[in-house]
Formats: sequence, structure tokens, C-alpha cells
Amino acid sequence: MNLPDYQFISAPLWLVTVLHLLTLSLHFMAMNFLLGGVIITLLSNARKRWDDATAVKFARLFPAATAATVTLGVAPLLFLQLVYPRQVYAAAIVSGWFWLGVPAAVIVAYYALYRASFAGQRTGRAGKAVLLLALAGLLYVSLVYSSVFSMAEQPGLIRDLYARDQSGFVWNPAVGDYALRWLHMVFGALTVGGFFVGLLGRNDVEVFATGKRFFVGGMVAAALVGMAYLLALQEHLLALMRSPAIWALTASVLLSLVSLHFFFKKNFWLSGIMLFLSLAGMVFVRHTVRLLRLAGEFDLASWRVAPQWSPFAMFLACFVVMLVVVAWMLRMFFGAKKSAA
Amino acid sequence: MNYPFWDVPVSYGVLMAVIAVFHVFVSHFAIGGGLYLVVSEHLARKAGDARRLEFLERLSKFFVLTTLVAGALTGVGIWFIIGLISPTATEALIHNYVWGWATEWTFFVVEIAAAMIYFYGWKTMAPRAHMAVGWIYFVFAWLSLFIINGIVTFMLTPGQWLATGDFWDGFFNPTFWPSLVLRTGVCVMLAGLYALLVVARCEAGGFKERTVRWSAGWGVAGLAVTAVCQYWYWKAIPAAVTAKALQTMPTPIHSMEISVWLAVAIGALLVVFGLLAPRKLGYGAAAALMVLGLAWFGAFEWFRESIRKPYILAGYIYGNGVEVAQADRYKKEGLLAQMAFKTGDDGADLFRHACQSCHMLNGYKALKPAFDGMDRAFIAAIVRATHQLKGNMPPFPGTAAEAEKIAGYLGHHTDKRPLAEIYKLEGVELGRKAYAIRCGVCHVIGAASDKSQSFAGQSADDLNNMLNTAADLGEGMPAYTGDAAERKALVAFLQELGKGGKK
Repeated sequence: MNLPDYQFISAPLWLVTVLHLLTLSLHFMAMNFLLGGVIITLLSNARKRWDDATAVKFARLFPAATAATVTLGVAPLLFLQLVYPRQVYAAAIVSGWFWLGVPAAVIVAYYALYRASFAGQRTGRAGKAVLLLALAGLLYVSLVYSSVFSMAEQPGLIRDLYARDQSGFVWNPAVGDYALRWLHMVFGALTVGGFFVGLLGRNDVEVFATGKRFFVGGMVAAALVGMAYLLALQEHLLALMRSPAIWALTASVLLSLVSLHFFFKKNFWLSGIMLFLSLAGMVFVRHTVRLLRLAGEFDLASWRVAPQWSPFAMFLACFVVMLVVVAWMLRMFFGAKKSAA
Repeated sequence: MNYPFWDVPVSYGVLMAVIAVFHVFVSHFAIGGGLYLVVSEHLARKAGDARRLEFLERLSKFFVLTTLVAGALTGVGIWFIIGLISPTATEALIHNYVWGWATEWTFFVVEIAAAMIYFYGWKTMAPRAHMAVGWIYFVFAWLSLFIINGIVTFMLTPGQWLATGDFWDGFFNPTFWPSLVLRTGVCVMLAGLYALLVVARCEAGGFKERTVRWSAGWGVAGLAVTAVCQYWYWKAIPAAVTAKALQTMPTPIHSMEISVWLAVAIGALLVVFGLLAPRKLGYGAAAALMVLGLAWFGAFEWFRESIRKPYILAGYIYGNGVEVAQADRYKKEGLLAQMAFKTGDDGADLFRHACQSCHMLNGYKALKPAFDGMDRAFIAAIVRATHQLKGNMPPFPGTAAEAEKIAGYLGHHTDKRPLAEIYKLEGVELGRKAYAIRCGVCHVIGAASDKSQSFAGQSADDLNNMLNTAADLGEGMPAYTGDAAERKALVAFLQELGKGGKK
């Protein structure tokens, strides 16, 4: 019997790429809110710049933000594994124990954030300790992801590392390669966190000022580190400059400045949209960098495309149903909350 | 062979089981618990039972903390671990079922949002809207099960997919419906068990008694559906697979038997403490029910995983990640030639990719004790004939020279002293040990492959002659390579066997 071949992509590549980039951008937005929010809450509390009520208000959102981060993270990882299984699994296996530690770290962080959320006004030293624990978990996850996904772009490095150690305790030794990328992400999280602090504290001068500081400061730091990362790409930088990604990068920088402008005007809707579009542009640049670094080892065009249209239609229909049902539930929930208030 | 091998001191099977069993135990509760909450809320509101509503709100907090965090994240954990231990099979599954998983993700999003809104909406939302969210939660959680069930059952019974490669042929496979109904029953049963755990802490009285009885009813009803479906599920597995399991695979059969006894124990506890004497249900009994439930699920999942041997995707990919369609090519060209990641130690690389997915050197399904005291020629012969050994193993996917290399690697790690010295045995007992190692890997006493009767009336010389010509007795039979003392002891043991005596 001729058995079916599993090495195919079940939708046109552009469609999978769009879905991957879109869901990844949404995941980053939620993750940035969470990571940036936790850092800002801790820093602001430490300097007593914030009254407790605002911190509590913010902390109450963390479990929902964690749920959103995890849920929105599933889809991009799925699409990533669909197109780049050889690279992603190979890198994950070499760092197997660290990789497996990711869900465990998220569980710890998640419970810690629930604890902080339920504690409410009764925070204090214990509350800060739980938030610190959550932060440690989140930073661990972000570091592992930066390390593994950066390694996944260098199959030669994986081969060398595996030849030396097969235990799964290998940490990406090319620190310079992912440290800047990771720092860029952390500063990006502070930017988005700052935006949400400003949004939640828009009626409080001091809280809004805190949000503004983190929004602007995070953005400047992220831009500087991002530029350093691009320069560190060395031979790939020229190729990036010649690719469409350079337009996406330029647009992203401009959009982030426009976002800042609307933030100062307290037009949070437009500011938020611009911020998201800026982030989506960066995600596209990141995607291009991956392809450039993999050139010679992997070619997207090598995939056989054999669309499964009926399962795809099922997904699309369910996706629309998901949007409608979630929107309805949120409307009911916030409508009831407003009435109760 | 496109991936590196994660060389860990823990068995892949055990690692997978720890994460997966915990996950299914929580995730099935996540479905049944949702139904329990909304149905109970409906009844409580209809009866104006404030005490019960208060209990349900408390239960929903426990529910959210358990399912959204531990349940959801261990689900992610399964995804992480399968990519580490079975990357080829995971890749195949994702390529075939990416839209199934993507669809399941849309249900997951609704499920998570609904669970949070249901929990946070107790005090603020109108009862009708709150219950509507509860129903949405349950429906979408069950739909998640519907999708995942299609992919999980595909792994055991791919059905027509092997011929057509069609998404739906694999999805609606022979065990899809029995498994779906069985798992739905489990969801209902677990809803009862978890609720009993929470209500066990309530003060004794009428409310506790009523709630215990109500929750135990869920447990009993779910258990009844599960018991019937377990039989249906067994019958839906191709007869050739179940017949082979009954003949040569003790692990799935024992797991199935254990799961039946555990179900009986759960049923007995539910009837006694839940229905007959609900006032006596304490935290100990409720916790015991949880432990039994977890053990039952573990036994069932162990059965499902182990009956799939020698495959990880039945008929498509072997447990060691070798694609069935490529097996002949690998055998011809060699396994090493297919490996994208190598360490420079061919024997170790071959052992990892061909054997280590199931066998450790020490520990789970250990090979060291199986080969201690054996020489390289014997080990190589066994490696070459893996598909003929007991336990339904996959064929060795490499060349004869590669089998030699694995034998060299294993020989390097095993004890080279004679068996008599290693185990401090002599006479028939030494012969029994030699039989277990050299012969018992195929010829299990009391099983279909038992050759004991053929030794009846044979003299020591006859048996020695048989050992001399062992390699010619059948395909895959290794030559006898033991020393004189071991040979003498083995012959004595074979004579005992022939007499139908000491076994």
C-alpha cells in the first residue's frame, strides 16, 4: 500500500504565514501587557509612586491577561510548527529540559498572579513576593523562547551543540545573538505596559504620568536595542535592507511615534491601534530575519502545498463563531458590570 | 531521523504519562464540571436555593483555578513533550490535522473566555445571561473534546486514512464514536468526583447530604456510560490488534484489567458513601475517590498507548519514529545515513534512534539486565530480530552492520562476566535465568510461543544438539553462545520444562 505522505502544507503558504503573523502579533500584545504590567506594578510600588487602588486594579487584570497570553500563544506556535518543524523541534530538543520547564513556569506565574489578584487590597510584602515570583516565571519563559527560537534559526549551531551534549541541558551559548532580541522584547513589553497603565489611569495625573514615562522610556530603549540587534545581524542586515521588510520596519517606527502622539492626546483607541500595527510590522520584520538567517539551509518554497479546503472552511467558520460568541459574552459581562456600578 | 534525540535518564513513556494523565484528569473534569455547574445552577435558581448557589460559586472558583491553569497548561505541556520525544510523529500529526487543531483553538478561546466570565459574573450578571455563558462554556469545552478525540483515536485506528490520506477518513475513524461517548461519560463521572471533594468539606447536614447524593449520582451515571463504552471501544479496535494483544502484549491487557477493577472500586465507594450513607462522606473518602479516578484514567490511557505498539501512529510511524513507508529504504541504506544529527558515536546514535524511545539502558524496560552476561554476537542477533521478540516490537530499521554497532554499544555497557557469576546461581536456577535471557524473549512459558512440550523425553545430548543448531531452527533465532556451565544448566532446565515440572 502506498502510504500518504505527511510532508505537506495544508493551505497556501501565504495564508498560513498571515495567520501565523496575525496570531503572533495578538499574542505579543497580550504578553507585553502582562510582562510590562507586572514589571511596572512592581517598580511603581517599590517607589510608592502609585496608590494601592491603581495597583490593585491593574493586578486584577493579570489572570485574564495570562489567560489571553497563553490562549493567543497556542495558535502561532501551531502555525510555526507547521512550517518550521525541523528547526523548532531540533532547537527545543537540544534545550529539552529548559523547553519543558516553560509550561511549568507559566503554571507557577499564573497561580502567583491569581494569588495577587485575589489578595486585592491586602497586598504588601507578600503581594510583592508573589508578583516577583510571577515575574521570575514570565522572564524565564521569555528567555527560553528567545534562546530556543534564535537557535532554531541556526541549524549548524544546533548540530554542533547536539554533537557535544545530548542531555537536553544545553543553553544557547550565542548569548549575543539572543540577548539583544530578548532585551528588545522586554523593553517592548514596558512600552505596551506603559500604554495600558496610562489607559487605566487616564483620570489620575500621577498614574497617567507613570504610564507615559514607561511608554516613552520603553519605546526609546526598545528602539535603541532594536537598532543594535539589526547591526548585530551583520551580513543579513544588507539583505534585510533590500527586502520588503525594510518598509515594514520604517512604517513600524513611524506608527509607534503616531501612537505616542495619540497617547499624549489621550486618544487611546487610535493610539492602541497604531501601537498594535507597529508591533505587527515588527513581527513581519522578525519573520523576514528568520528566513534570511535560514537561507541556504531551508527554503519555504520547498514545501509541497496540498490544501485541505473543507477542514480549513470548518476552521474559518468556527473562527467567526468564536469572535461573535466572545464579543457577545464580553458585552453581557461589561454591560452587567456597568449596570451594577 | 530528521531530529536530534533527547537523551534523558527518564523513560519517555513515564515522562509522557505523568504529564498526560494529569492533564486528562483535569481536562475531562473541565468539561463535565462545566455541565455540572450550569445544570446545578439552573436547578438552584429554580428552587431559590441560596445555599446551593453559594456552594456553586465556591465550586466555580476551584473549577477555574484547576482547569484554566493546571488543566490548560498541562495541555500545552503535552504539546511540548510530544515534540521532544516524538518529533516525527508530531510533525506528521500537525501536517495532517493542523486545521483540526486550529479549530480546536477557536473552541479553546471561547472556553477560556466563558470560564472567566462565568466565574467573575456570579455577582453582577443577570441569572439568564450567567447561565447562558455557562452553557456556552460547556458546549465549546465538549467541542474541544470532539476535535481532540478525532486526532487521538486516529493515532490508534487511522482506518481508511492509510489508503486515502483524507482528513475526514482519519478523523472519523473506527474508534472515534466509542471513544467520544466513553470520554463524555468520564467527564460526567469526574464532575461528580471533584464536586464530592469540595462538598466533603461542608458542614454536615441536609445541604451536604443532598449535594453528596446529587454529585454521587453524576459519578455513578458517568461510570455506567464509561463501563459500557469501554467494551464498545475494545470491540471497535481491529480484531487483529486485540488478538495480538491478548497473545503477546501483557501491558495493555493488564492495564485494561486494572482499569476494570478500579472502576468497580469507584462504583462501590460512590454507592456506599454517595448514595447509601451520604452523611458519612468525609474528606478521606472523597480524596480516595479522586485517587481511584486518577488511577483509573491512568490505567485506561496506558492501555490505549500500549496497545498501539509497535506504532506511535498505527500502520504509519513506528514507536521509534521510523516511518513505515521508509523502513525498507532505511534497512537498505542504513539508519546512520538518514540521521541529520549525529554525535560521532555511531553505536550510541543508533541505539538512541532505534531503541531508546522505549528502552533505557537502566530503569524502564531496561536492556542492561536483559543483556548482562551475553556476548556481542547474541546481542546483535536479538537486535536484528526485534520484530520477532515478545511484546510486538518494531523491526530493526538498520543494516546488519548497524545491528553490530548497537551490540557493541550495549556490550560496552553490560556486565561481561558469566551469568553464574553475575547472579550467583547454579544448576536449574542458573538454567532458568539463561532461559529467561536467551529464550524467553520469544518463547514465553505458558504463552502461544511456548516450546516446552517439544522438550519432553529429550536427552541431554538431544538438547545439546538442539542448542548447537539453534541458529538454523528458524528465522531470527540466535546461535547459542553461552559457556559450558551455562549450557549445562540450561539443558537441565529444558529437561525440567519437558517434564512439565518446575517452571
